[in-house]
Amino acid sequence: MMMFSYLTATGITTGALYALVALGIVVVYKATEVVNLAHGDLFMIGGFFAYTLHVMWGIPYIPSLLLAVAGSFLVGIVTDRIAYRPLMSQGLVSVLLATIGFSFMLKGIARIVWGGKGDYLPFPPLVAPEPIQFGGIMILSQHLVVVAGAVLVMICFAVFFKTTRAGKWMQATADNPKAATLVGIRVSRVYMYTFGVGAAAAGAAAVLMAPLTLLYPDIGFTLFIKGFAAAALGGLGSIPGAILGGFLVGLIEQFAGGYIDTSVQDVSAFVVIMFAMVFLPNGLLGLRGVRKV
Amino acid sequence: MSILTVDDASISFGGVEALADVNVEIERGEIVGIIGPNGAGKTTLLNVICGMNLPDKGRITLDGTVITGWKPSRIAGMGLGRTFQTSQLFHGMSVLENMMVGMHLGSTSGLFAAAFHTKRMRDEEVMMCEKAMEALEFVGLAEFADRPGSALSFGQQRIVEIARTLINEPKVVLLDEPAIGLSVNRVAELDALLRRIRDEKGITLVMIEHVIRLVMGVSDRIVVLNSGRKIADGKPEEIRQDRQVIEAYLGAQVDA
Amino acid sequence: MKHLFGSRNFLIVLFGTLAVLPIFANQYTLFVSNLVMMYIILALGLNLLIGYAGQLAFANAAMFGIGAYGCGLLQVKLGMPFFVAAPGGAVIAMAVGTLMAFPALRLSGIYLALATLAFAQATQWAMLHWEAVTFGAGGFALEPLDFSPLPVSSAIGTFYMTWAVSLGLLLFASFAMRSRIGRAFVAMRDGEIAAEALGIDLLKYKAMAFAISGFYAGAAGALFVPILDFVSPESFDLFQMILHKSMVVVGGLGSIMGSVIGATLLVFLLEVLRDFKSTQEIAFGALLLGFVLFQPKGVVTFIRRWVPGWNEPLHYTDGTKQTKQAASTDEPVATEASEERT
Repeated sequence: MMMFSYLTATGITTGALYALVALGIVVVYKATEVVNLAHGDLFMIGGFFAYTLHVMWGIPYIPSLLLAVAGSFLVGIVTDRIAYRPLMSQGLVSVLLATIGFSFMLKGIARIVWGGKGDYLPFPPLVAPEPIQFGGIMILSQHLVVVAGAVLVMICFAVFFKTTRAGKWMQATADNPKAATLVGIRVSRVYMYTFGVGAAAAGAAAVLMAPLTLLYPDIGFTLFIKGFAAAALGGLGSIPGAILGGFLVGLIEQFAGGYIDTSVQDVSAFVVIMFAMVFLPNGLLGLRGVRKV
Repeated sequence: MSILTVDDASISFGGVEALADVNVEIERGEIVGIIGPNGAGKTTLLNVICGMNLPDKGRITLDGTVITGWKPSRIAGMGLGRTFQTSQLFHGMSVLENMMVGMHLGSTSGLFAAAFHTKRMRDEEVMMCEKAMEALEFVGLAEFADRPGSALSFGQQRIVEIARTLINEPKVVLLDEPAIGLSVNRVAELDALLRRIRDEKGITLVMIEHVIRLVMGVSDRIVVLNSGRKIADGKPEEIRQDRQVIEAYLGAQVDA
Repeated sequence: MKHLFGSRNFLIVLFGTLAVLPIFANQYTLFVSNLVMMYIILALGLNLLIGYAGQLAFANAAMFGIGAYGCGLLQVKLGMPFFVAAPGGAVIAMAVGTLMAFPALRLSGIYLALATLAFAQATQWAMLHWEAVTFGAGGFALEPLDFSPLPVSSAIGTFYMTWAVSLGLLLFASFAMRSRIGRAFVAMRDGEIAAEALGIDLLKYKAMAFAISGFYAGAAGALFVPILDFVSPESFDLFQMILHKSMVVVGGLGSIMGSVIGATLLVFLLEVLRDFKSTQEIAFGALLLGFVLFQPKGVVTFIRRWVPGWNEPLHYTDGTKQTKQAASTDEPVATEASEERT
């Protein structure tokens, strides 16, 4: 029972982060019909930004978080201008290959700037690391911070999309780009900001997660895979699906690792992807994000 | 005997009935036009005939063989050709190579014959090349054989796509809006070409078209669909005066 | 002398030079040349799948690994001689590759790409963790190949074997694509729906494309075993994937010669940057990104333009996006520009 509750708690925590990554992937996908393979590396860069700001330069946590998110936002914009905008008309193959290329560039740059493959950077936790007892379940307080932070970010997203003008423009463009142009929305600019927003979600996830896991350049791809697994499970065009998928993947991972074998934890995301692609083409929530013409 | 029959075809997509109990009989050597307002199910009908969609109910028969549920490539092998609304020219190949794909069904050399460049394969290549050139000459575009598809004007590309379906001497060819985007002159040329296909090659044509002047002028018979159902079937003069047809088109008439 | 620089002559020069290389080259040069020939095979297989048949699959590195592990394990665990285990490894990779044709029927674009990517990662995981079978992260070593009764050393023998196999597979691919099969592949890539309507059985040809590329990658993997006399999971990781992709893109998608050139150039680059992993990542990432952006048809375009007599069939991607709406229902569909260009 202890193990079950521990696994559940950890699963929900990591799941919250995967949900954030998935959110970024889905937001960009809905708008542009493209999956950004460099998305995980945006997370990684956000984390490294936060490390530089908070650990190397001593800026306090919350401002570091905000600046790191802003930094990720900018890198997201760069991604759009380099890897998406010039290639949108050329089809999927080109964009995918371009994002892969960009992903490796980011990884290599991070490796040079912040240290090699063997260097795992530790990030100090926001609160004291002693675990809290919750009626028989022990969880780290950082876990709570992570889940609370992730939920906060998701709420910000929901608010952003539903109330702000920019958010509504993004939704409109995602649903019907032609109509959006007719109404005067500058579609390519919206795409650019969408990339930025997606990246910001990744950056936020990074900073939240950094105290729990050490930071290393290869974490980007790992996160991307798990985020994509979450998005695929929930339905690639569905934001609630991404969130649901995130928590599910987190839990599946933990339970597979706990009850089958620890090493299975790494492979569960891959299995989820293959399973979802073959058996759940529309995801659990039935939305594949088909763009209506 | 009719060469193509559609019996009681019905199909729904996500709760929307795209075709409901459609019955069509196409005689050998006819040109049949299919018209109807947008969303009437015309393209869906073609999709069902050529095997791209499986009907929920109904049966398709091609020259005596029931082909419902067959794969599109297999139906093509029975002598059914098809063109599409959007351009399906193969951009990575020259015009001649595009046409040679039309002879795919008429040739048999496999991977190893190709890799080892056997005599049989080389002979077949020569044969395919000749047939492809013949078809290009039939439509008057032989000079473009070695050019890429993009060197042709839009109208010429559409003609090549039609010619591509003719090379393997099909029995029936389904055409989805062949006149789309064509100028008045080109439409007249298309009209002449369609007649030549019927008269000189004996191929039956089934054609969806919105350009009313073309479809009324060239068709032997016209089938009218509206909201997934057939509402009229007869000679162009009869259709022109049919009450239901006029009502269906009220306010939505497209005339070139 | 119009054909002095033709592609055929280029190949003759390349493989001719390679054939006499062992006479005067040192061990390191032989090693790099072995890699070049092996990567030519890998690039060719991937190009056939992505460049010609248009199937966006990301599992080439995994097939490479399956070929290597297959060949190695058949020798080490079942005691088979290399000359049986090598084709065995290639065939296993081919079979696994062919299985991917089935999801390829239903999935396309991003879904196929990521499903195959997930599969590739799962395969590497198996290499790392399925220790009972694969010896885990540490990998395993093999005895150098014994070519007796032929009087050649292991290194020389391996070199000429690689030479023969790569030349053979290159010729196979080249002839195969200049045929009805090649046209069927390109038709599938450029207009799948029309291809089907012209009688091209998509399952059959997709399976063929996956089978060929799986076999090629597996054969390269089998050849890799005697080059290093060692098999370990880290050779088949994500970076390997980007390596293959870069070779195909830099060389030129849809061009056989492009794969040869791309593989050669990039192996040199790989060796030059061998000591700096992060620079490798940046370099190859930048190459991939740069070529996709600025020269998607690859290096062969320069060659075609500036070298007279470079003859190769017109099978290249110009990146034109084919809409999948050809057979949509009667909703109005955007048509191409209808200006007449008579």
